[in-house]
Amino acid sequence: MIRLENINKYYQQGDSQFHVLHDINLNIDAGELVAIIGESGSGKSTLINIIGFLDDKFEGTYYYNDEPIHDYDRKDFSKLRNENVGFVFQNFKLLRDVSVAENVALPLLYAGKKRAEIKERVSEVLSKVGLAGYENKLPKNMSGGQQQRVSIARAIATNPKFLIADEPTGALDTQTSQEIMNLFKELNRESHTTIILVTHDPHVAEQCERVVTILDGHMIKDERNEI
Amino acid sequence: MKFIELLRTAFQSLKTNRKRSFLTIIGIMIGIAAVITILGMGDGVKKTMYDKFGNSKQGQQTTEIGYSSVDMGSTVHGFTEEDIANIKTEFGSEFKDVKIEHDSLINSKMTIGDEEKSVSINLEKKPEKSIDLIAGREITKQDLQMKEPVAMIKESLAKKEFGTAQNAVGTSISSNETTYRIIGVYGGGSKYDQYGTLSAKGTDVVVPYKLYYDGQNANEGDVIKLTFPQDAPASKVSKKIAKYLEKNGSAMNKGTYTYYDMEKELKAFSSQINMITGFISLIAAISLFIAGIGVMNMMYISVSERTQEIGIRLAVGATPTNIMLQFLIEAMVLTVTGGLIGFVLGAGLSHLLAPLLSLGGGIKIKAHVTLNAFLLAFGVSSAVGLIFGILPARQAANKNLIDILR
Repeated sequence: MIRLENINKYYQQGDSQFHVLHDINLNIDAGELVAIIGESGSGKSTLINIIGFLDDKFEGTYYYNDEPIHDYDRKDFSKLRNENVGFVFQNFKLLRDVSVAENVALPLLYAGKKRAEIKERVSEVLSKVGLAGYENKLPKNMSGGQQQRVSIARAIATNPKFLIADEPTGALDTQTSQEIMNLFKELNRESHTTIILVTHDPHVAEQCERVVTILDGHMIKDERNEI
Repeated sequence: MKFIELLRTAFQSLKTNRKRSFLTIIGIMIGIAAVITILGMGDGVKKTMYDKFGNSKQGQQTTEIGYSSVDMGSTVHGFTEEDIANIKTEFGSEFKDVKIEHDSLINSKMTIGDEEKSVSINLEKKPEKSIDLIAGREITKQDLQMKEPVAMIKESLAKKEFGTAQNAVGTSISSNETTYRIIGVYGGGSKYDQYGTLSAKGTDVVVPYKLYYDGQNANEGDVIKLTFPQDAPASKVSKKIAKYLEKNGSAMNKGTYTYYDMEKELKAFSSQINMITGFISLIAAISLFIAGIGVMNMMYISVSERTQEIGIRLAVGATPTNIMLQFLIEAMVLTVTGGLIGFVLGAGLSHLLAPLLSLGGGIKIKAHVTLNAFLLAFGVSSAVGLIFGILPARQAANKNLIDILR
């Protein structure tokens, strides 16, 4: 499904260029649960941003379902994100002043869905993440674990082909982390959603069937766990 | 995303910042209110002029020549049938029509008892309101319509002629072969009002207008009305006729004929108004410009405050165009709201202020707020929103997603 070939990425820092990613080659098939691990600053977030169509400035070729993504422009990227990817961030990235329902509805609104349809879908995904009946709450009044569930609900609202999770458990305690991980595993198993997550928590990584290790912008390991 | 959802989003985020939104609106509101007030008053003046002296709907122009006798209470009329005939033979090719205009308050001769006396007469078209009746009854609407030969006389006149008010009722008074039955006596006010013209409530006699001008009286009067084709030099010809009458008019020895060029006067007045309108509009334009910069400022602040929100929206699939439209609509909702409130304020204010422009006792000026003024307010306020909102909105749309989410 995802095919990265010779991906290089540079950041401009003052006058000098900083080489973040070196010749990354990576294939991910539909239905996989992949963890990308590495030290902070190793470039794993940069990589996941490229995979998730957030970053359109990179060198190399990226085929998504054999489409040449590297040739797309900004507007195409918006559409790709809306239709194919769900995002879960470390700090949740919810609109804090609007209700849970409105937050979850966002991607559906941008997809041009009808209000009635949206309402139905929102309560469906909220009950899937264990937050049935929370529609009218405000995110700022909820716990971290609950907020992360809301953001997962938002990520899966449009039935995306894959989920991108950047340190999804980074701001949560161990027990809540495990609950979120269980939710991911359940989504992967039951809905066959492809999930790619970045983490530096070994407990999280060992629950994933495939672990890719990044060090200083190089992909140094790509192993499969027996689960 | 559907447009209606963009509108909803815009309203929602303006609502979370009520105070700031309101303050931003005020500038636009004042600018638009000033423009509408001035326009409403200016259009009011123009409309008054147009209605009174301008070209009528059939594309004609009318002017009036008046006669005033040297002696105020004189009953001599300035225009007779003969004068009209003379004017027609002399200037007939230069105007369309000439007619004697009848006043409803006149000085004339009437016969009371056996004596002919000079009296002031109120010719009623509809019953006078709140008349102070002393004896008999009032002239009714039906009397007026049926041209009943009835009259009312003032208490002072009744006492002089008949001793008491009661005695006068039932007697008669006549003018040019028409004899009116006196049916009532009233206590009138003073004969002249503050401007020195006859006052409706203070005349010696009240008789029905229609009946009075039915007979001989129709051929005499103090004002003539001239009608001209659209392109004729109405003012020039009227002046010539007035001059001619000074030398040949039937009553030239007892008074003066004047052509009072109202149109010219009002034109001068209206050009002054136009100048003031222009000047204040300029000031209003400056205030709108400043208000627009206020909107721009607020939108820039809003964009930088809501960077996270923009990032989230972009991440879940908003296109840059969606983001730009969202902020542009917010700016326009602000300015259009300000514009509409300003329009209402301005319309109200112009109605309050326009009467202050009225000229003495003559012409009353009423504000006239047109549909065009509304469209102007709407158009200008949307334009201000569009012009001053587009840059902040584009900045929002062009934010780098990676920088925001990092």
